[in-house]
Amino acid sequence: MKEFFRRFRRNRLAVAGLVVIAFYVVLAVLAPVAAPHDPYAMSADAMLAEPGRDHWLGADPFGRDIFSRLMHGARLSLMVGAIAAGIALIAGTLMGMLAGYFGRWVDAVLSRIMDILFSFPDILLALVIMAILGPSTVNVMIAIGIVYTPIFARIARASTLSVKEAAFVDAARSMGARSMHILWRHILPNITAPLIIQTTLSFAFAILAEAALSFLGLGVEPDAPSWGIMLNEGKNWMEHAWWVAVFPGLAITLAVLSFNVLGDGLRDALDPKLRSSGA
Amino acid sequence: MRRFCAAIGVAIALLGCARESPLDDLPDIPDEPVVGGTLTVAVQSDGRTLDPHRATDAGSMRLIENMYGTLMRYTEIYGEVEPYLAESVTLSEDETTYTFRLRDDVTFHGSGRIMTADDVQYSFERITNAQVRAEQFRHIRSMESPDPHTLVVHLERPVAPFLTYLAYPMNAIVDREVVSENDGSLDDIVAGTGPFQLVEWRKDRHLIMERHPGYHLDGLPRLDRVRFRPISDETSRTTALRNGEIDLMLDVPDKDRSILDRTGYVKIESVPGTFWEYVGLNTDAPPFDDQRVRQAVAWAVDRDMINQIVKFGRAQVADGEFFPTNHWAFTGQSVYPNRDLERARTLLKEAGYQEGFDTEMRVGSAFPYQVAAAQIVKQQLIEVGIDVELISEESGVFFDALGQGDFSMTLVGWLGFVDPDEWLYNIFHSTGSWNQQNYARDTVDDLLERGREENDPEQRRAIYAEVQERILTDAPVVLLYVNEHSSARLYRVQGYRVHPTATTLALRETWVAP
Amino acid sequence: MLKYTLNRLLIALPVLVGISIISFFIVRLVPGDTVTAMLGAHYSEEEAQALRETYGLDQSLVTQYALWIGNVVRGDLGQSAFTGQPVLAAILERLPVTVQLVAMSVGFALLMALPLGILAAVRRGGPGDFSVTFLGLLGISVPGFWLGTLLILGFSLYLGWLPSGGFIMWSVDPVENLRHMILPALALGGAVAAVIMRMTRSAMLDVLGEDYVKLARAKGMPPRVWILKHAFRNALIPVVTITGIQAGYLLGGSVVIEQIFSLPGIGMLSLQAINNRDYALLQGTVLFVGVCFVLINLLVDLLYAWLDPRIKYG
Repeated sequence: MKEFFRRFRRNRLAVAGLVVIAFYVVLAVLAPVAAPHDPYAMSADAMLAEPGRDHWLGADPFGRDIFSRLMHGARLSLMVGAIAAGIALIAGTLMGMLAGYFGRWVDAVLSRIMDILFSFPDILLALVIMAILGPSTVNVMIAIGIVYTPIFARIARASTLSVKEAAFVDAARSMGARSMHILWRHILPNITAPLIIQTTLSFAFAILAEAALSFLGLGVEPDAPSWGIMLNEGKNWMEHAWWVAVFPGLAITLAVLSFNVLGDGLRDALDPKLRSSGA
Repeated sequence: MRRFCAAIGVAIALLGCARESPLDDLPDIPDEPVVGGTLTVAVQSDGRTLDPHRATDAGSMRLIENMYGTLMRYTEIYGEVEPYLAESVTLSEDETTYTFRLRDDVTFHGSGRIMTADDVQYSFERITNAQVRAEQFRHIRSMESPDPHTLVVHLERPVAPFLTYLAYPMNAIVDREVVSENDGSLDDIVAGTGPFQLVEWRKDRHLIMERHPGYHLDGLPRLDRVRFRPISDETSRTTALRNGEIDLMLDVPDKDRSILDRTGYVKIESVPGTFWEYVGLNTDAPPFDDQRVRQAVAWAVDRDMINQIVKFGRAQVADGEFFPTNHWAFTGQSVYPNRDLERARTLLKEAGYQEGFDTEMRVGSAFPYQVAAAQIVKQQLIEVGIDVELISEESGVFFDALGQGDFSMTLVGWLGFVDPDEWLYNIFHSTGSWNQQNYARDTVDDLLERGREENDPEQRRAIYAEVQERILTDAPVVLLYVNEHSSARLYRVQGYRVHPTATTLALRETWVAP
Repeated sequence: MLKYTLNRLLIALPVLVGISIISFFIVRLVPGDTVTAMLGAHYSEEEAQALRETYGLDQSLVTQYALWIGNVVRGDLGQSAFTGQPVLAAILERLPVTVQLVAMSVGFALLMALPLGILAAVRRGGPGDFSVTFLGLLGISVPGFWLGTLLILGFSLYLGWLPSGGFIMWSVDPVENLRHMILPALALGGAVAAVIMRMTRSAMLDVLGEDYVKLARAKGMPPRVWILKHAFRNALIPVVTITGIQAGYLLGGSVVIEQIFSLPGIGMLSLQAINNRDYALLQGTVLFVGVCFVLINLLVDLLYAWLDPRIKYG
């Protein structure tokens, strides 16, 4: 553990990522009390107001304060990211561990299901799921969660396969421990490293995916202060008022970037054998 | 590395191919129209069919209307019609028999055959069979053609908007021989008499049409070719015009007007138009089955603010009538002259909703300006305690829900109406086919029936003024505004006039300065 | 090799069947009725019933699936309920746009990623490496639709160099065709470039540590030789793999980019199918994209086996 922190601290980029994420979390938590304006309050006078004293980052076409909406948007994005990544983590890990541990037909069936889900490009699959479920924040979380489940299943399965043959698992089995006990007590703790890394990266994906779905109009409620919706609205105003699209775009990029560098840093620190490769 | 440099070289070369002639050099406009040339027109969406009798969407209509002709045609005064493929029309004393004298020089595309009364009669029958607009021809009792260029139509009862229906561009006269050769289908072929004929239709890329050499009016059309390009995104459309990739765009986003104006080489023209938007309330279910709740919404909405933010103040705010200022039936009446929150709260209290209530509003994600307006309405209704959840859906689901009456509130619009009867009957008559609000009032039904049979314009105007006041007081819909219809064109494009109904029939007079 | 190929095909088969089942049933779960969407606001019940019969919508789901898959095998994906166009024809008509977009994106990505990735690995730890690493992270973090918007703003609106959207066929005007595709390909290729760059860098780092590269370097060979001939060639395998996989993902990413740039490709077609509740079309595009994805992955697998002698063909 000490070794982990030492290695992680040396990666200045990853530490910076963590700091930025912490900053976002603070913004998100404080949004209801600290946001300078009501994120929904409209005013024809403040329509497209430039960044300045009243509106630090300007106002959108409805005269809503962009900074306040970004703060509330952080809440939304982090929540979508956390729950979507959580759904994928739990469902994927469970399926992957079962497949890896029991092998045979369990593995065959679960792996094929994952292969099939894996065979659709992520955004298209999320779009179709959203079309089935209908637009809402909860459904966005579910759709993104389903889309990223196979990645976790694959990682959990591969890790389980390699841990399963280890001596301590054999020992537990020979002592008559039940399968569930072994999975929970002996295997899970030993496959957490790659799962933690993937969760961090999935957080980044989920924020991007929510923005993309909302951008296409199949995401959260239209007046929600989602970064993706703000970007979609802003895109039409680029020339009149660059701040409407630029700040949400920066907010998304910075958040995703932070989760990515954090994921890279965790990977290097947790498992030196896994060198940072492609996404 | 060398290959990398080569690639950069190619990229620079491609950038260099940008249009040579700067659009800022405005050409001299000749006094006389010039014949020839190609015009590229951006449309919002591609069509689904080229069959005028089956088309229901604006995208298809824009593509079809210049390839076909109709017996009557709209004039510049909104709501008025004049003979087009007919030479003259007379109405009998009892107002049930129309006699059309047809032009004898109208030829069909391809075959060049002269249009006869048989084609007209066949077309009316085909429209009836195609269902989509059968309603408009429902009262025809019989038709006969004493000679090839005369058609007599007997109606069961007087139908005031009948001639207006005949001017509707989709009620087109088709070549009956071509239709029967194609087993009744007109999807990808043309059997029209319009100024332009089809060259090629590639879905989502373009539709190209060229001059109909046998067009019956001398000197028209002026263009050799017209190319329609669907560009669904508004900003992309504006950009394409600014870059000279297109010559004419049919819908100008209000927010881009200033940008286009500033270029100096784009001209924008607007007229009050047919497109009106409203908040629809489902009168079948609580809480909006109570007139007082509906009126509360009508008083609580700040139409000016919505107009300022969403339409940049360019729409005509409306609370007492559905017609734009340039329509013959316009009176200028008002039912909810000012926003009145006190009154709204009192009405809600009387209806037993002093605590307010939660409800939902459905909007179509394909209409961003309606999604935007809905967000503002939501904020305004919070002030009287009505908490609205917005549901933005794809067109398929959205219109399905409206059609089945599966909504509490909606924000949506209608467009394309010409006669007051079209405007009101189908939407507010208890048996109207688009009566999504499930609205039913005997007095309103009676007035609408009378308006449909009355041929005297002054009488009709009075009838419709009264029925509108009744409807809007009852508030099954909360009217917001009537939109302008605009188009923007490059400076060199001449002779195109925007029509309130959004038709592009003026393309036949359009020409391009060299 | 043949045995390995057959084995891979055998594994792909149940996945393909699964894809067909999902494509079929997922679409049935979508709310909204094609028939009502098709007929618009006003229609009679007889008309609706007739349409249901025409499209077999009145039969049981299993029968419908059996009928459908039978037709699919014969190359008949049904007809779009909206336009009446055969689904396969609609897909094939738009395929070239998406293929060109994906190919150009991958092309741009390789052009940017390979030199930078190699540079970063060779100058490991230096400011160049740090910049490239950071650029790579930035690349996978920028939303493609934002990048697309910024590109339009910069190159189309301010500079006026390139068109902002639309598509011109290669056969009509090759120069215009390329000019219309540059910005979309850049917007779509940005993230891929970043991924390939990261992979190139790490693969090169692996190889640069090998003895034969060190030896070549020690012998005083010019950098061009030991970097390109010795190291890069051997780093190529993972790079090729990740490029192939990314090409598959681009099929999905093109949905958003095609929308922004008004490109009539597969992505726009599937979005239209969703918006119109066009069952047959949605089924067809989902199936088509899924199958393409599987085939691309299969090709990548085979290519990998062919490039890497360490894989047993067992």
